Amino acid sequence: MTTKRRYIALIRKNLGDRLNIREGVAPNELYLSLRRESLGTLPETCSLLTRSFRANFTTLVANDERSLNGTFVLSYVFSVPTDDLFLILQVPVEPRHMEVPSVSHVLESANWFEREVKDWFGIVAFPNIYRLASHPDWPEDVHPMLKDFDPQTSVPRVRGSFDFKHVEGEGVFEIPVGPVHAGIIEPGHFRFSVAGEPIINLEIQLFYAHKGTEKIAEGMSPQRVVFLAERISGDSSFGHAVAFCHCMERLSRCEVPRRAAVIRTMLLELERLYNHTGDIGGILLDVGFAAGAAVALELKERLLQLNELLTGSRLLRGVAAIGGVRRDPEDTPLKRQALADMLVRGRQAFEDLVSLVMSSSSVLDRLETTGILSHTDAYRLGITGIAGRASGMNRDFRRDHPHCAYGPLTFRVHTSGEGDVLARMRVRIDEVRESFSIIEQLQLQDPGEPARTGVVTVPPLQQALGYVEGWRGEIVHWAMTDAEGNIFRWKITDPSFHNWRAITVAVRNNIIPDFPVINKSFNLSYSGNDR
Amino acid sequence: MSDVLTFVLPALLQLVLVLVLAPLICGIIGKTKARFQHRQGAGILQPYYDLAKLLRKEVVISSVASWVFRCTPYLVFASTCLIALLVPTVVVPLPLDRVGDIITVISLFALGRFFVALVGLDTGSAFGGLGASREMSIASIIEPAMMLAIFTAAVTAGSTNLSIIVAKLSSTPASMMNPAHLLAFSGLFIVTMAETGRIPVDNPDTHLELTMIHEAMILEYSGRYLAFVEWSSQMKLVIFLALLSNMFFPLGMAASMSPWALCVGGAAFFAKVIVLAAVVAVVESTNAKLRLFRVPELLMVAFILSLLALILYFIIGA
Repeated sequence: MTTKRRYIALIRKNLGDRLNIREGVAPNELYLSLRRESLGTLPETCSLLTRSFRANFTTLVANDERSLNGTFVLSYVFSVPTDDLFLILQVPVEPRHMEVPSVSHVLESANWFEREVKDWFGIVAFPNIYRLASHPDWPEDVHPMLKDFDPQTSVPRVRGSFDFKHVEGEGVFEIPVGPVHAGIIEPGHFRFSVAGEPIINLEIQLFYAHKGTEKIAEGMSPQRVVFLAERISGDSSFGHAVAFCHCMERLSRCEVPRRAAVIRTMLLELERLYNHTGDIGGILLDVGFAAGAAVALELKERLLQLNELLTGSRLLRGVAAIGGVRRDPEDTPLKRQALADMLVRGRQAFEDLVSLVMSSSSVLDRLETTGILSHTDAYRLGITGIAGRASGMNRDFRRDHPHCAYGPLTFRVHTSGEGDVLARMRVRIDEVRESFSIIEQLQLQDPGEPARTGVVTVPPLQQALGYVEGWRGEIVHWAMTDAEGNIFRWKITDPSFHNWRAITVAVRNNIIPDFPVINKSFNLSYSGNDR
Repeated sequence: MSDVLTFVLPALLQLVLVLVLAPLICGIIGKTKARFQHRQGAGILQPYYDLAKLLRKEVVISSVASWVFRCTPYLVFASTCLIALLVPTVVVPLPLDRVGDIITVISLFALGRFFVALVGLDTGSAFGGLGASREMSIASIIEPAMMLAIFTAAVTAGSTNLSIIVAKLSSTPASMMNPAHLLAFSGLFIVTMAETGRIPVDNPDTHLELTMIHEAMILEYSGRYLAFVEWSSQMKLVIFLALLSNMFFPLGMAASMSPWALCVGGAAFFAKVIVLAAVVAVVESTNAKLRLFRVPELLMVAFILSLLALILYFIIGA
């Protein structure tokens, strides 16, 4: 891989004095370990990497490796979209001095990641010391992700109350919403400061749906963790499962059969289809256009029923497996016919829906200029997926880091510059059209070939990334195996974790009654964020 | 005895008619909207079952609620019942037309609104305050538009007494197609949508507290209190539909208390209200809710329509 050589040479020449370079198991990963004495240059190194390689901050992984080499390791993962490469900057942290300099001032998208690491591992990214994941009634010095914390311990509750930013002034008041909402919505607390109707500030408190998924997985066999991955976020069941399988396959240098890659791609697109149509319906429902919403939700239901017919699960669960897929969705004439039908009738129904929506001036009036997320803010906060693309961020893992069978496919990455609710809906509409075309291209490719390789043995003490462009955005998993080949550490990054901050920016100066539709246009996962 | 026959009995019958018809009309609107959404929808009798259920259920009251919270449901229900006695439905002249005129009707609505807004503030919930502030700011534009529309009809008849307005119009059916008359009708129709909390102004079906207007104020109500408030809202809709149909198109109204005339009048009233209810359902299904700050613009349209109607009246006459 010559591009990789080029990167190694370039990094060695410019940063060789402060870091060591090592190639990963997976072909497109480059591990850069910052030397202990150069810890102070961490923010500068991060900003150099992002600026010189046009790299995007993807995730931050903390790993308690005290049992292996006596230190903690922080891995800052950067994606280089131009050359399909991941740069993983690793920083050792001494247990005696659990502190690193914060990189948030040069890389604002890392802010929440640093705060989560502080809550779960006790590693402080100074001066970014604010709590995020653990609530105020959780003791300050208990860090559940440390290896010596037993998940069975019952932790005493302490006194504490949420500390929200207060806006003061005449006519300014606060509206608390949640964490229990009307309707079937996940839990989250929203604190609005408003002056009449316009929103001055919004603070969001999440992590009510924390399930300790990453902790539970430790010591589990990778085959079992696939089922855990399917339950990270219900609407991205297949995306997360494939991201994890991808991670394990890269870690064990296992090549999945071509047919399996085709099926995965097809099902990822089916997941995108049902979620995008459902979101369009949700947006219409939130502006009170129930007749349009009914059409969209009907199509979503038909897509879910197609999923069930093809795979036995409406949410595409139980299909992904390490080394391939468990089922072939095109193995009977009935299934092939149903899929072909959807490509004709589903498409038609979708186009009817689009013309219904786009010809309704009262709907467009509600969506235009509502909840604008500027390109600057989207770039600054590292917003991914549809939300990012609607604000002009031309990023898509399907094109930038081809996985599954996306490489040879022809499809366009649609972006929009407006960044309002309508832009997010338009990007969804365009992506639905692309998805139909992708499924059409994949239909009956290499049918009947085996879709799963034999037993995959996962090697011990290896680490790798696995990723997928889910319907919401990039899903990135990072895992490391222990001496038995079981999971030692598993870090899940759901796109929602990047994107929740976008909502607080996008709602500013909008009016209170427009919040639900702005929120819906992002449609972020609480469960995926809280894990 | 004759007093009972000529005043009390017809008045009571009219009240019962509005009380009984109100849930049915809401059921019909709900069913029509459901069909627009490709749904089967609940039966048209569902609102009756809902009211019966709520009347039996326990009432939960916030510990900070004052007497305003407890009194308002009865007060709103009583004032709405009183209005139901004053609007033309089946027969003219109205049995109680000397008790109050159209100004009384508008004032009684304002009274109910005032107390419901107080209730929004009373429990101290953030949503109630939000709803109350929205309701009052919208009401300040609804009321002038409503008065102007109604005054056009009043000026035509030379009286604010609803019986006289209806009688005058019935005697000159041609004036029903008068442009001034039609403009005032359109104005009052927009007012009806706003006043009864329908799309595009408010969404009666939403679960999103942040977008609510009327529902936000009564969010804390439960049990029989909620039943009375809901029933009043349903009656308010029927009353507005009655005003729309009979103040502008008093066709088929009974002019005497003979059984035959009453039957025809009743059938005509029922048909007109159902047609209007269907129109309401169509408007609700084909429009999205307006952005809150666009609502005043819509109500300004109603206001301008009514103003034009009034000007037209003076230019071309009735």
